[in-house]
Amino acid sequence: MNGMELPLVVFTVLSQTAVGIVLASLLGRYAAAGPETDPGRPWGAAAGILLVGLLASLAHLGHPTGAVNAVKHLATSWLSREVLVTSIFLAILLLGLPLMRRKSPGWLLWLAAAAGIVSLVFMGMTYSPPSFPAVNNLLPTVFFVLTAAVLGPAVVSWFVRGSTPPVLVAVLGSVLLLALVIYLIVPCIWLSGGTVMQNTGWAWIGSPLYWLRIVLGLALPLAVVWKTRDIPVWLPLLLIAGELLGRAVFFSQTLHTAGNIGGLY
Amino acid sequence: MRSQTAFYIDVQRCIGCFTCAMACKNQYHQIPGVIWRQVYPLSPEIYPYRERAFYSLACNHCQRPTCLEVCPVKAYFKRDQDGIVVHEQEACIGCGNCIRACPYGAPRYNPEQRKAEKCSFCWQRIDAGLLPACVLSCPTEALQMVDLASLDRPGLVQYPPGFPRFPELNPSVRFRLPSLPTVVKREDI
Repeated sequence: MNGMELPLVVFTVLSQTAVGIVLASLLGRYAAAGPETDPGRPWGAAAGILLVGLLASLAHLGHPTGAVNAVKHLATSWLSREVLVTSIFLAILLLGLPLMRRKSPGWLLWLAAAAGIVSLVFMGMTYSPPSFPAVNNLLPTVFFVLTAAVLGPAVVSWFVRGSTPPVLVAVLGSVLLLALVIYLIVPCIWLSGGTVMQNTGWAWIGSPLYWLRIVLGLALPLAVVWKTRDIPVWLPLLLIAGELLGRAVFFSQTLHTAGNIGGLY
Repeated sequence: MRSQTAFYIDVQRCIGCFTCAMACKNQYHQIPGVIWRQVYPLSPEIYPYRERAFYSLACNHCQRPTCLEVCPVKAYFKRDQDGIVVHEQEACIGCGNCIRACPYGAPRYNPEQRKAEKCSFCWQRIDAGLLPACVLSCPTEALQMVDLASLDRPGLVQYPPGFPRFPELNPSVRFRLPSLPTVVKREDI
């Protein structure tokens, strides 16, 4: 992974965390036994996390002052669309913060959730170009949705009054199990693809970061949630670290077609 | 078909001398590590002979360039008159999206300017009636500039082994494949 991609690791994980927080808040509002929270606090956390993520994303630009121009090519560029929708998502979170603290209207939560989900999809499309055959598909979107689904309930558990409600524990446990299965199976499927896809599979499987991500970011947290039926206060930190490791693997170990020119494809 | 300027690579003639890559470097003085034209040796899996074969590659000036499509600031455009894909460095913000997206690795990151850059097909030279530096320098005429609209040579391929196949991009490059090396046996002498 080159230095340009480290800010993208931080940006993608944090912005997906913000989407996850909004979705988990929505769950808390409408689930039968949802968590009791002061809705303004997770909303504020989502806004702050997304703001930090967007600031981090500027660091990957050679010329950050030109970032405002990045919405010029909405016709074909998924990056332009991603920038626009993520900015709209941030605007909703920031402008809606006073309203969310006072009245907590449901429509605002739905609006933010819709913008967040669209930003996840656009982000997934941005990182699935033809040059990376292993992820030139829906996988980036699946990975990003999983990150939001893991970190959303985990971070919202910090804002819950009293003990962690079972619905949050159940959602986190289920998503962790699903993510563990997907992250273990996907590199194995790549091994039956073309040369670049195969090499990507071996690169992931041979990467210590990948196994750290599997063990620390998915298996261990799953075991903790399973055993304790709770989300300990330290667990979200471990999950964030795991997602950052996983994203570093995504950016550093997924191989480009140009690396194999002159060889078999 | 509209005019589309393209590189014609005669792999049979190419001797892997890197003169094309050096001519490009002499013309544009790219900083170390930034390479617009690269000469790739074919792996033994594709060309299993003691003789070697090479692809001299730069930007393929695709009919549907992914660099142009993914660029968020419209720093790329395709010239109407000849289909050359031009990168406008003044507009580039150095996001690296084109570098990630091009399956042929044509755009490169210039860490000094903190912007992307790539082969321009020497469009300024072409407009002045000159050949691109790489084409002009090739000592074996293995690298040529052609117009796909009028190209009529038999036996050319667009996707030879060892070259990524992306029909949706339709790269403007044609190859003449290397022939098998001549084996001279004792009884032939």
